Amino acid sequence: MDKILRNKKAICIFIAPALIMFVLILIIPMFQMIYYSFCDYAALTPPSFVGLKNYQNLFFKDKTFRIALKNSMFFMVFSAVTQQVIGLLLAVLLTNIPKGRNVFKNIYYLPCVLSSAALGLLWAFLFNPRIGINQLLAKFGIEGPLWLMDSKGFIVLPMWVIAFVALWQYVGQNMMLYMAQITGISKEVYEASYIDGATKPKAFRYITLPLVKPMMVTSLSLNCIGSLKFFDLVYNMTQGGPNHRTEVLATELYAEGFNYFKYGYASAISVILLVFCLIVTLLVKRVIKVETYEG
Amino acid sequence: MNNHKTKAKKPISPVLIVIYILLVLLAVLYIAPLLWMLSVSLKDNPELMAAPFSLPKAFNWVNYAEAWTLGKLGIALLNSVFVCGVTLLVSLFFGSMAAFAIGRMRWKFSEAMGTFFLIGMMVPVHCILIPLFVRFSHMGLTNSRFGLMLPYITFSLPMTIFLMTGFFKSIPGELFESAAIDGCGIYRCFFQIALPLARTGFFVSGLMTFINNWNELLLAMVFISDPLKKTLPVTLTYFVGPYATNYVQMFAAIIIAIAPTVIVYCIFSNQIVEGLTTGAVKG
Repeated sequence: MDKILRNKKAICIFIAPALIMFVLILIIPMFQMIYYSFCDYAALTPPSFVGLKNYQNLFFKDKTFRIALKNSMFFMVFSAVTQQVIGLLLAVLLTNIPKGRNVFKNIYYLPCVLSSAALGLLWAFLFNPRIGINQLLAKFGIEGPLWLMDSKGFIVLPMWVIAFVALWQYVGQNMMLYMAQITGISKEVYEASYIDGATKPKAFRYITLPLVKPMMVTSLSLNCIGSLKFFDLVYNMTQGGPNHRTEVLATELYAEGFNYFKYGYASAISVILLVFCLIVTLLVKRVIKVETYEG
Repeated sequence: MNNHKTKAKKPISPVLIVIYILLVLLAVLYIAPLLWMLSVSLKDNPELMAAPFSLPKAFNWVNYAEAWTLGKLGIALLNSVFVCGVTLLVSLFFGSMAAFAIGRMRWKFSEAMGTFFLIGMMVPVHCILIPLFVRFSHMGLTNSRFGLMLPYITFSLPMTIFLMTGFFKSIPGELFESAAIDGCGIYRCFFQIALPLARTGFFVSGLMTFINNWNELLLAMVFISDPLKKTLPVTLTYFVGPYATNYVQMFAAIIIAIAPTVIVYCIFSNQIVEGLTTGAVKG
């Protein structure tokens, strides 16, 4: 038995296709991207090494990039906070109701499996002043704002709208993760606590919350990386406008790379995106791990 | 008798009623936009402008026919099915092979290899976009469905390998041992024992792969410019922006685009939700 499981030739054959694709299409391009980010590289000329110039331009000259960075950060924090809190809350409510749990669960989860390109279009029209909810508000005598075209404030209104739509679409994911964890907690723990005189809020605070913490790592990292990579909804709802005020890192990268063909510059943006993703993943793991040890 | 039964039940607490009201309101927030879209897609443009929130007076099914032909949705649908289908099969096959070697076979670097593939889950697809596009355009692989499948398969591999490794590890080792005693080789062990037993694993990782790629927009937008090769999400972006004037057709197009998913979801929602959660929990 041991012998056939140590068959070197078979191991090579099994691992080779995946490994080759992985290296050729993910690892090598990733290092190329890092190299390009130090180059002046427009589509038609070969890349020429310029050192840190792209990064200097990004951080010190490019106003649009700063907006994109700010929006991405806002979006990540907003999504992380709202989706975690509401997701957990929904999970707790749904595990405690006697009937209809599956129906509600499936309804809230539905947008997660739908194309965000399509849902982005739908919401863009719902927030369109001519045909959307402003018409509904007008019936009550309220003049709604120009949802997706407003450009005032530190975080512009369209960004809040997009963040809300993202919350609407993806909160089901977090809810499901937490539900999976909560249904895994044995009923006896709760029953014992009720006998000892715990109320439901207390049971939540001292039983549910500590026990779902491991899931918070998964849910929060998925959440943060997803928000950093975020592209579809922004592209289909505002395309970065008005006047680049809703640009996020991914749309900015797309515009620099494939509208203006500044490959080197766009590569620098993707390096920054990659670094953020790695930092966030490590940070989430570190922070929550410490807490579980203390708890 | 019936009356007696209801009386014997615990009285419904007001808190529970409030919770139910909240949940129902939230459900409305989820379903209403979709229903609104359905209603708009059956109106004509003047009616949409006049009364966007009323029910359609007449059903203009012609919107669907026009969206279907003008938006080339039929071709887009076929392209999506083709690209996602092939990606699904290939990534499951390659992924489960690698997972078997990592999870079941004994060699020095099996764990290191598992970790190596795991890194792939942290790398956003944006990071390979430009180098891959440059390389592929030199090789004539842009604007081809095959060229789109390659990154799709690659980015599906880490998740598939990770999930399948877990499933293969959970198969009891005695099965392979007794098979080996009966003279079964390593390839037969894989194809005739491991693969059939990991059906749940295939379902879970296949589902995640398929849904991710079916909805993928960025790569598809960058790699494909020929309208006859575009996938569904890209085709929809045509309807956005300054050229968009025919609203009702757009809504019909969106409905057509999401209908397959919604229908499949309605039929298998419990299995799908459960499968995707298993995938995400383990990932």
